[in-house]
Amino acid sequence: MSEKLLEIDNLRVIYKTDEGVVQALNGLSFHMDKGETLGLVGETGAGKTTTALSILKLLPDKIGLIEDGSIKFNDFDIVTGSEQNMRKLRGDKISMIFQDPMTSLNPIIKIGDQIAEVLELHRADMTKSEIEARVDEILTTVGLPTSRKDEYPHQFSGGMRQRVVIAMALTCEPQLLLADEPTTALDVTIQAQVLELMKKLKENLNTSMLLITHDLGVVADICDRVAIMYAGTVVEMGTIEDIFEASNHHPYTIGLFGSIPDLENDAERLNPIKGLMPDPMNLPTGCYFHDRCQECMEICTIQEPDNHIVDEKTNHMIKCHLFDRTKHSDDLEGKMHEPAFN
Amino acid sequence: MSQPLIEIRDLKKYFDTSQGPLHAVDNINLSINKGQTLGVVGESGCGKSTLGRAILRLVEPTSGEILYKGENIVDYDVNKMRNTRRDLQMIFQDPYSSLNPRMTVGETIAEPLKVNGFKGSREELSQKIEETMETVGLSNRLINSYPHELDGGRRQRIGLARAIILEPEFIVCDEPVSALDVSIQAQILNLLMDLQDQKDFSYLFITHDLSVVKHISDEIVVMYIGQCIERANAKQLFANPLHPYSIALLHAILAPNLRNRGKPKKVLRGEVTSPINPIPGCRFAPRCAHASERCLNRDIELKEVEPGHWVACTLFE
Repeated sequence: MSEKLLEIDNLRVIYKTDEGVVQALNGLSFHMDKGETLGLVGETGAGKTTTALSILKLLPDKIGLIEDGSIKFNDFDIVTGSEQNMRKLRGDKISMIFQDPMTSLNPIIKIGDQIAEVLELHRADMTKSEIEARVDEILTTVGLPTSRKDEYPHQFSGGMRQRVVIAMALTCEPQLLLADEPTTALDVTIQAQVLELMKKLKENLNTSMLLITHDLGVVADICDRVAIMYAGTVVEMGTIEDIFEASNHHPYTIGLFGSIPDLENDAERLNPIKGLMPDPMNLPTGCYFHDRCQECMEICTIQEPDNHIVDEKTNHMIKCHLFDRTKHSDDLEGKMHEPAFN
Repeated sequence: MSQPLIEIRDLKKYFDTSQGPLHAVDNINLSINKGQTLGVVGESGCGKSTLGRAILRLVEPTSGEILYKGENIVDYDVNKMRNTRRDLQMIFQDPYSSLNPRMTVGETIAEPLKVNGFKGSREELSQKIEETMETVGLSNRLINSYPHELDGGRRQRIGLARAIILEPEFIVCDEPVSALDVSIQAQILNLLMDLQDQKDFSYLFITHDLSVVKHISDEIVVMYIGQCIERANAKQLFANPLHPYSIALLHAILAPNLRNRGKPKKVLRGEVTSPINPIPGCRFAPRCAHASERCLNRDIELKEVEPGHWVACTLFE
């Protein structure tokens, strides 16, 4: 039995803005095991980044509020934990790679010093020369020449800056790495380099990784399990095989896959999801996806669906009324979807 | 053979920098037929956007010819060029910064008509705007909205409406979908293809996303540091890429399926070298596994290796 590292249960986060209350996370639940890579997939506004910021408790002060639910990291309760304890956690046990390597480094501090800062804060017992040795070591690990540690961020290209950010995140060998779209800002050939690097480092350090992305190709390459997010909830979750190869899916997942041009099939037209993401200030009743869903039934407009396990072995979960066995067990077979991909 | 709608011969655009000339576009030749889409792919900084802008003379080419229906528009004076631009339009990458925040949707879409001396009455003008909005799938109730009230997909539809209201022949699409979410991206791609079927537009489609370019293009040009290194029919290029850089690019695509999971990947080493004052020779050679002395010190010409498939690489000389 694998050990649970992170457990999020029924998390609700709101942002109080001048225009109204944004419901960013609406009952989000998932867990991560040690050494596992979980892909968190969804479109803009699905609440992916809010999830990461909640785990680090870095939601904007007095605006972003955790209303309900719990986040447990090992045995530590993040929601009720003190700021002092959180500070010890951040950068040491949990660290984050931000999306944009151009803006997540301090432009007026040498990159070597920026990496050393993490160690100065979390490893008070290390001497100056030990810290320096560790900085050299981590730079070599991420494939940067140590001779460049006295240079400033603007002297590096995008791919190299992202390596610096990764080096900073990994210096303390964290147990959990939150990677928020780590390769989105990079070109494809550089993306391939960075992904290979992250895979290798993760294996060596046995770090768990929460990979936030909208790119299903990246997910297929690197993740062990996948959670598909829509309007602040997980609508489908399972192993990588459940999501990419099983035949049962949430209609939103099917729509996501239908929106990507397939390199192997020459489909004339794409099958996108009609309509737009719902307004998080004014979420629809029932299932949040119902007004865009091709399979919408009456119950979907009234009642929020439960999480249904469609495969006991892998814990493949789909939050959709279509998979509610208690309601229409007779015609369940008929309601099952055609295999959507392959 | 019919005359291509757009033909570009030896187009160059160098930018002066303090360190020397930056070769943004270097000796590009291409042609686009009526109703066809030419895809331009390459990584950031390879000159694809500059190419698109130079074709419309939004940046003045350093040298070369741009033939539109057989006439060289580089020689046109300001007035003639202004008239010709009615037929040559552009859709920009970022739907957030390419719209004037102080103009309503209706005003934005009407602007090209007004600039080009629309002669009709007020009713005809608003009818034309409404028609165009309908064509691009924008609801008429948005006519008095401002861009900040709308999401990225709708804003990109405004950009598209503005480009097609003059019924152009040719549209440069500069990464029109890369700022959008996948589900919205698919809606816009479908719309672009439907409009091409209805109105016989020709597109120059600039993108870094290879799966998108294959989906929409008839022919594809692969650029690397200002040069065209391979040019082929879309199917040919994906079935049989020849240039080592094209092969590396195609390998770097991560398909949304598990077939290649866990398999070792050929990862291209190094990064794009500087486009400022490049030395003669293959510009990809520093990153290329097949590089030899033959690749250095001289420019490598594009060579037709099979009908319609051109490649600039010493492996095929």
